[in-house]
Amino acid sequence: MKTINNNLRLFWQGTVLSYVALFAWFRPVTYIASKILMPLAQMIFFTFLGSYASGGSNVDFYVIGNAIQITAVSGIFGVTMSIGGDRWAGTLAYLFGTPANRMMMFFGRAFMHVIDGAFGVVIALTWGALLFGVDFSQTNLSALGLTILVTTISTCGLGLLMGCLSLITANVMFVNNTVYFLLLIFSGANIAIDTLPNWMQAFSQILPLTRGIASARILIAGGSFAEVVPLLTSEAGIGIIYGWLGYFLFKWFEVQAKRKGSLETV
Amino acid sequence: MKLKNLITYWRTALTVAEITLRHQWNDSFILFAILVQPMIIAILALFMLRDLGGEYAMFVVVGSGLTGLWSSLLFISGNSINNERRQGTLESLVALPTPFEVIIFGKNLANVVQSLISMSSSYILAALLFGYTLKMVSPLLFVGSVIISIFAFISFGLVIAPLFIIYRGIQQWQNAMEFPVYILAGFLFPIAMLPNWTTPISYVLPPYWAARALHETSTGTGDTEKIFFAWSMMLLFSVIDLFIASKLFKFMLYKARVDATLETV
Repeated sequence: MKTINNNLRLFWQGTVLSYVALFAWFRPVTYIASKILMPLAQMIFFTFLGSYASGGSNVDFYVIGNAIQITAVSGIFGVTMSIGGDRWAGTLAYLFGTPANRMMMFFGRAFMHVIDGAFGVVIALTWGALLFGVDFSQTNLSALGLTILVTTISTCGLGLLMGCLSLITANVMFVNNTVYFLLLIFSGANIAIDTLPNWMQAFSQILPLTRGIASARILIAGGSFAEVVPLLTSEAGIGIIYGWLGYFLFKWFEVQAKRKGSLETV
Repeated sequence: MKLKNLITYWRTALTVAEITLRHQWNDSFILFAILVQPMIIAILALFMLRDLGGEYAMFVVVGSGLTGLWSSLLFISGNSINNERRQGTLESLVALPTPFEVIIFGKNLANVVQSLISMSSSYILAALLFGYTLKMVSPLLFVGSVIISIFAFISFGLVIAPLFIIYRGIQQWQNAMEFPVYILAGFLFPIAMLPNWTTPISYVLPPYWAARALHETSTGTGDTEKIFFAWSMMLLFSVIDLFIASKLFKFMLYKARVDATLETV
């Protein structure tokens, strides 16, 4: 029981402290600019572009796709920076020196970003309703809420994997930004997946977000929860696989770093 | 900024531009801003606009190139003074007999010129990957538009860089400034789609006139009169920007030298 309590305390403290540390140098204005206005402007840009392409029809397709994709701001950038932050701040050596439960420590880094990311999607969808008239009257809102949560967790799974990569490369912002923008193509946020070439469709299927965006579109169009259960199950599965891959990499890096004494250059 | 300084110190500006180019080619974030992001936006736009026909390919090539130009100006030129401060070279640069704005002009020249790569890479992408036959309708006028756009963007950058360092509050909005200009300048769709109240904002943005000139000369949608008007507007805004920049640099250097607040300007 004591071990469980200790692990939960570690999870929670790691969660809160890493999140606070990430935004410690931020002011509220920077948070609003980076986490609310930037994603909103991105959504408006792609919605207008899509609207121009489709002659004004199908606006919902672009609003919903881009609103859900906004979760990647927290899932990819936030989580990666929380994991990588330990290396940049020089605290990685101390973490590897503690007997703390690695799983709690590792997955705890993503927890606040799940909440933050899901909140961002809700804001984006609200803007979608206010600015572009997206109609939620037929939507099963609790199912949509679950979809947002599952998709955010799944995207954070990829973020955890990317975070591990940030421990071995100095070019983490290049990798992060590239992954974030590639998701705009491959997740189906802006292009219907079935119109992509076969190899791109196959790649889309192994990414988080793809099924989450599809589920959100079905639900907002009036679809039932039962219709999206298979999609959400796969979305969660993909996120878990990425998260575990990240965790195993993290453990492997620790072993390598300790064996080679190359902690600072891991 | 005084044009006289630029004429006197043109060799310095070119040397700064060369060193900046060499330095920045090792920076992966810069490669992302000028190469990867515009190419991804080009791929997205080419897929999204493909039903409108092949004639829109050139529009996308130019538009996505402009996104690279603006992102580069905002993030790289905007941080050009801040980066010197972080590297500890700002004090030396301010103490040089060469006017500081000439050095920043050289850095902006490098940033804007290297950003033109984004247009070339989008061109290659559209031609090779998507198989579009791309035809430049007015090549000479297009080259003229490119040259004037470079000057307009550099002048705009000379306003942004000191603004970001003098008023930190403005720089905090940097991340939120990227996409709004894509939208308001009509890089990839006409501003006629936007609400009417946004039109005056577009008119005071040099990137809007650059987009108009480059789109009209590349796709042949504008007559010579319209193109010359866009050029005139870019030159007008460049003069205004250079005037504002000269005041901002003077203010910044005053604070740095008299108040001795260079590190905390």
